[in-house]
Amino acid sequence: MKNEQMTIIGAGAVVGIIASLLVYFGNPANMGFCIACFLRDTAGGLGLHAAKVVQYIRPEISGLILGAFVAALVHKEFAPRGGSAPFTRFVLGFFAMVGCLMFLGCPFRMLLRIAGGDLNALVGLVGFVGGIVAGIFFLNRGYSLKRTYKLTPVEGGLMPALAVVLLVLVTLGPAFIRFSAAGPGSKHAAVAISLLAGLAVGALAQRTRFCMIAGIRDFVLFKETKMLWGFGSLVVAALLCNMLLGAVTGSAFIKLGFAGQPIAHNDALWNVLGLFLAGFACVLLGGCPMRQLVLAGEGNSDSALTILGLIVGAAFCHNFGLASSAAGPTLNGQIAVVLGIAVVTAIAWFNTKR
Amino acid sequence: MDYIATFFSHFGSIRFQQQCAARGWQATMRPVPRDLSSSCGTCVYFSTTELPPVSELLTPELEQIVQRNADGYVELFRVDD
Repeated sequence: MKNEQMTIIGAGAVVGIIASLLVYFGNPANMGFCIACFLRDTAGGLGLHAAKVVQYIRPEISGLILGAFVAALVHKEFAPRGGSAPFTRFVLGFFAMVGCLMFLGCPFRMLLRIAGGDLNALVGLVGFVGGIVAGIFFLNRGYSLKRTYKLTPVEGGLMPALAVVLLVLVTLGPAFIRFSAAGPGSKHAAVAISLLAGLAVGALAQRTRFCMIAGIRDFVLFKETKMLWGFGSLVVAALLCNMLLGAVTGSAFIKLGFAGQPIAHNDALWNVLGLFLAGFACVLLGGCPMRQLVLAGEGNSDSALTILGLIVGAAFCHNFGLASSAAGPTLNGQIAVVLGIAVVTAIAWFNTKR
Repeated sequence: MDYIATFFSHFGSIRFQQQCAARGWQATMRPVPRDLSSSCGTCVYFSTTELPPVSELLTPELEQIVQRNADGYVELFRVDD
């Protein structure tokens, strides 16, 4: 038990340092990792949306899936499974992304924003915890998307194969692939560095089951703190690394406050509601966006469908003006978040035994 | 003896825990130990002097039952799908 806790704390620290270093190597500020942003950028890179500033096939995404895939293979945990309400999971993934892009970040980036001094992320954390508690309300009353079933290795291997295809595309850069010339999509570490970072974090997340949802859910349900210590070590390690990088380079890697934070807005209500929606949807899915990538790497085709839901959600967010920007949330985005909370509540209600 | 049952859903754990309580067994829900699964779901730790045939415990969401001992876990049942 103690060993497992120390492993999670160590893994959290390594992940925090890797995330901080990715910013040094070129990723946007406070965005060493952001699964929502990176899937959104990847959707843009594939031409699924037309927002020119967020188009880049992020190698970290492929790395996370392939890192988990290799770790699962090595430890004989690659287990192709699926069939647990796949389309419901697609819809939950869609609305989880709507919530994330209201806040401008997934739960992973929420922690990295805290480590960068962005106090709006602490506000968002309140909504995230609220969303998880809302999901637990239904879990304890019989919510279930029913069981999974064993599938063929081909089915389980398709998402890792797609991850390889994405890597080939970003490396070769054929004419039909889009690359942002300005904005967050233009800021990225070299492909090899991004890939290595993704592989390392994917493998660590597979071995430790690192998940932003599970940590808070298990604390609320069982007073289990193991994963929360991992979150703590991630934030502290990223914070210390940011401070060190600031001291060495003379650039600001930390900016404490609410206003003028990188790729963030300071509308508290919508930061709370955005992450409430993301937390609620992700509890019903059984894991945060990063966990979905890891599970897909382990062969879970339901998680692969969830990832597609996240990607389509990101494309909708940018094609229909739902995503926030540094200027704040949009009216369309506010409507989408309210609609999303209603849809996710309905999914929870109709899948709960009464 | 001490056992752990894992499930495909959180609600499966809740139902099994209630089933254990009805039989007078000591049972608590907890996160699934990492050594048992790469899944981050919930399981039921339970104790009983004599485990009945698994067919009596089977629910649609039961995944596996293991016995806990000093060396780790001994798998007693895993759903065949």
